[in-house]
Amino acid sequence: MTRYTMAIDLDSCIGCHSCAVVCKQENNVGLGTFYSKVLTIGPSGTYPDLEMYYLPVACQHCDNPECVTVCPTGASYKREDGIVLVDHSKCIGCQYCVMACPYGVRAYDNNRDKGVIEKCTLCAHLVDDGKTPACVRHCPGQARLFGDLDDPESDVSKMIAKKKTHKLTDVGNAPSVTFGLDKCEWKGGN
Amino acid sequence: MEIQWPLLIFSVLLGMGSGLLVFIGVGELKGAFKKVRFVLAVSALALLAAGGIASTFHLGHIDRAFHILGNLNSAFSHELFAVAFAAIVALVYAVLSRKDYPAASKVVGILALVAGIVLPLTAGISFMMPARPAWDSFTLPLMYLGTGLGMGLVLGAAIVYLKGDAQDAKTALLVAIVGVVCSIVTMVAYVAAIAMAPFPHESRSLARLTSGSLAVEFWVGVVLLGIVVPAALVALTAKRSPKASAGGEAVALKQGAGYLCAAFVCLVVGSVVLRTIMYAVATSVESLIY
Repeated sequence: MTRYTMAIDLDSCIGCHSCAVVCKQENNVGLGTFYSKVLTIGPSGTYPDLEMYYLPVACQHCDNPECVTVCPTGASYKREDGIVLVDHSKCIGCQYCVMACPYGVRAYDNNRDKGVIEKCTLCAHLVDDGKTPACVRHCPGQARLFGDLDDPESDVSKMIAKKKTHKLTDVGNAPSVTFGLDKCEWKGGN
Repeated sequence: MEIQWPLLIFSVLLGMGSGLLVFIGVGELKGAFKKVRFVLAVSALALLAAGGIASTFHLGHIDRAFHILGNLNSAFSHELFAVAFAAIVALVYAVLSRKDYPAASKVVGILALVAGIVLPLTAGISFMMPARPAWDSFTLPLMYLGTGLGMGLVLGAAIVYLKGDAQDAKTALLVAIVGVVCSIVTMVAYVAAIAMAPFPHESRSLARLTSGSLAVEFWVGVVLLGIVVPAALVALTAKRSPKASAGGEAVALKQGAGYLCAAFVCLVVGSVVLRTIMYAVATSVESLIY
């Protein structure tokens, strides 16, 4: 079975925010709203032994998404290929999914499609066309990888096999995005 | 998290309405409050309706409300059913209270008691989310129930006192005392749950409440106005009960009504402030992001 997801090699991320910008362009994301953002983690440690890394964060396309469970209308749903989406025509903008998401990656849209919830779609429109998400295609450090978690030959599976991997804090939602980080100490939960 | 005022107002109003429904139910079981039962039922219905209207301001698309039953497993949908059930019960009881159908009134009164307990619990459960450790505790729906009982039962007793019904005043006061005790116990339990929540973080720590950025809200809003003053006012009302008062029954009832109204206002303030704290401590389990 196909399980599309993303793996991000944090050792290769240069914190350029290209992913955040190209995501806005590709998805026509309104002013002040981000599907994807890049956090700076650190610096931590004691001088001169300081370390810092960048953490690109978007929807984690969880295996057991709490946002889908709490949605009263069924507007939030998970496709068979693992991508979590919001059907804007059903969304009433109650924001329960925003509260239920542990990662703050859902946004209430005040611009384009007023009154609904927006989030990373893993560029489903491109994926369905056989392409990769825009942030993956435009990452200058080739830190962002996309593929089928069930395919051992996919870029995602290969990165997971060769790096020390981490996930954002899991409280039963089972985030699917994997972060690879060898050069610094991971500061998030596991 | 930012305070979601429409939801906050909704929860406070539905708490009051639910408390009144419990007051009605207790009255039916005890055979009391006959003179005020219509006022109680209409007040409960009005509070539920006002709360329902307030909650719609939280929605981005009320025009798509017909989609709400798209996921019946959602706690939001359960809450909607509970509100509808409580409102129907209040309406039917209001109609029955204008006629003389004691058996039917008793049955609907008991249903009101059930609805008054189930509704705030259901509303509180909808906030139990693993992503927000300060919410993911059953003490939150219990706090919704307890504060609702505090507000509703004291309001019900105040209405009895205001109507000058000396016969029912003692029962009403007893019920109000139970309400205040429930409110205090569940408020304290919820604050304890915040302090003991998993994934400890300073944003939802007890220190933030007692000596940090939420100290004023906590000590003045919750402890003083939400706990100490209402308890003192209800105790004062008990001390000057109509039978014990030397100044006459009417004066004692008037005085008691004043105390109970003041206690009700304090309980409302305490409930509102505790809910603002509830939103302030609703930070995410993922410390990297919040």
